[in-house]
Amino acid sequence: MKPAPLEYLAAATAEEALAALARFDGNARLLAGGQSLVPLLSMRLLRPTAVIDINGIRGLDRIAAGDGVVRIGALARYSALQASAVIRERVPLLAKAVPFVGDRQIRNRGTLGGALCHADPAGEMALCAVTLVARLRIVGRAGRRELDAEAFFQGPYTTALEPTEMLEAVEFPDGAGAEAVVVEHARRHGDFAVVSVAATGLPAPDGSWRWIRIGLGAVADRARYARRASEGLAGTRLQPADVEAAAARCLEDAEPAADVRASAEYRRHLLPILVERALGELARRRR
Amino acid sequence: MSARVTVALRVNGRAYERVVESRRLLVDFLRHELQLHGTHVGCEQGVCGACTVLLDGEPVKSCLMLAPQAHGHSITTVEGLAGRGELHAVQQAFRDAHALQCGYCTPGFLLAAVALADHGVALEGAALREELAGNLCRCTGYQNIVEAIERYLRQAAGGRRDG
Ligand SMILES: Cc1cc2nc3c(=O)[nH]c(=O)nc-3n(C[C@H](O)[C@H](O)[C@H](O)COP(=O)(O)OP(=O)(O)OC[C@H]3O[C@@H](n4cnc5c(N)ncnc54)[C@H](O)[C@@H]3O)c2cc1C
Ligand code: FES
Ligand code: FES
Repeated sequence: MKPAPLEYLAAATAEEALAALARFDGNARLLAGGQSLVPLLSMRLLRPTAVIDINGIRGLDRIAAGDGVVRIGALARYSALQASAVIRERVPLLAKAVPFVGDRQIRNRGTLGGALCHADPAGEMALCAVTLVARLRIVGRAGRRELDAEAFFQGPYTTALEPTEMLEAVEFPDGAGAEAVVVEHARRHGDFAVVSVAATGLPAPDGSWRWIRIGLGAVADRARYARRASEGLAGTRLQPADVEAAAARCLEDAEPAADVRASAEYRRHLLPILVERALGELARRRR
Repeated sequence: MSARVTVALRVNGRAYERVVESRRLLVDFLRHELQLHGTHVGCEQGVCGACTVLLDGEPVKSCLMLAPQAHGHSITTVEGLAGRGELHAVQQAFRDAHALQCGYCTPGFLLAAVALADHGVALEGAALREELAGNLCRCTGYQNIVEAIERYLRQAAGGRRDG
């Protein structure tokens, strides 16, 4: 279990990283936290000609709020997200999701951008991005483009990124005042989710919810925003009948697969239970 | 840029420079290039924590870093803990609480604990276990490890208050 021979290049700027990606013509990989890439190299599931280390690119880890969004640089590490007051106050769903990822050591290295580009269908960061309709800012040699999270994820471990492009930053809508809950069933604490559910919403003064968004993890080939269930909850007070209807709609959106962690049937069994638990907890938050 | 690179870094306060293959994992660099065998290799895929070292003071898994990534950084391994002939407080706490059996996991736990103390964190019980979730032990059942680290963290916090 050792990586195959490869070249190593430390990029000091985004331009340098993009130039190197172009030079290796799709046979190089960017190295961010390395918490997914290095095991893949060691197992030789990936054998790139080169890795391009982006950890030295200044400012690529910036977290800043303004113009109704919170913009998070691709290189922001989980532990930085955990420590950030801006994230806690304005993207509470992300703050709730990060502790579910791996363990302290993994969170000290792993990055938001790396997690999104890795596109694990059970990944918590993809779940948050899809649920909140984050905008992904991508740079290539030809220039910049932006994609909604739903368009970025194309399947298990598959994204819309070209091999010569880099994810630069992710913009989440400013969710100041929102409540958020993440519930997850995993075989062991810190392990990848068997099923995860994200629920977030903005409480109105009259006791109802202005909007609610529900995301579903590990029940399809990529994280899903449960659109119909979410839209159906806007303006409700999350009464038991509302919650039950939403859980049923979420189940209709799920297309779970069987894998080493669980059967498809077990995932179908878990999903409505976790949706009800998440919404129940969200409802309790405002009392 | 090449398949071999120069890695210059500090380990336990001492400067080292070596030319290595780019694919060299940090844990293998420490063990084979620097002959520091205290950092153990368990799973080689980031799960067991036996290879935990401090990178600029933060615990990381050294099987999940390429050695060239440590260029210009500062690493602490278990060899950096004990003074001359004297155990580090965390090592003494492990000894007092019988917190090791085969000892394979121990260096990783020690460094994870030192990072907590350095950050002024004095956790116990479930919250401490949560912080230590990246370190596995196949022998002890964890009880004594958690006790040793609780003791050490209390002592470290006390020392800060007194001093
Ligand atoms: C023991 C263990 C437990 C884990 N548990 C979880 C868990 O519970 N939940 C979870 O979601 N994840 C988990 N992970 C994975 C972890 O979250 C990784 O940090 C994450 O998947 C990848 O982020 P990274 O920064 O380490 O990226 P890397 O490993 O460096 O890169 C991953 C991929 O993304 C590409 N890439 C990285 N950055 C960019 C960029 N800016 N632009 C374009 N491409 C880029 C790389 O080329 C590579 O293909 C776990 C990992 C381990 C080892
Ligand atoms: S050897 Fe590095 S985590 Fe197991
Ligand atoms: S003492 Fe043997 S693995 Fe922990």
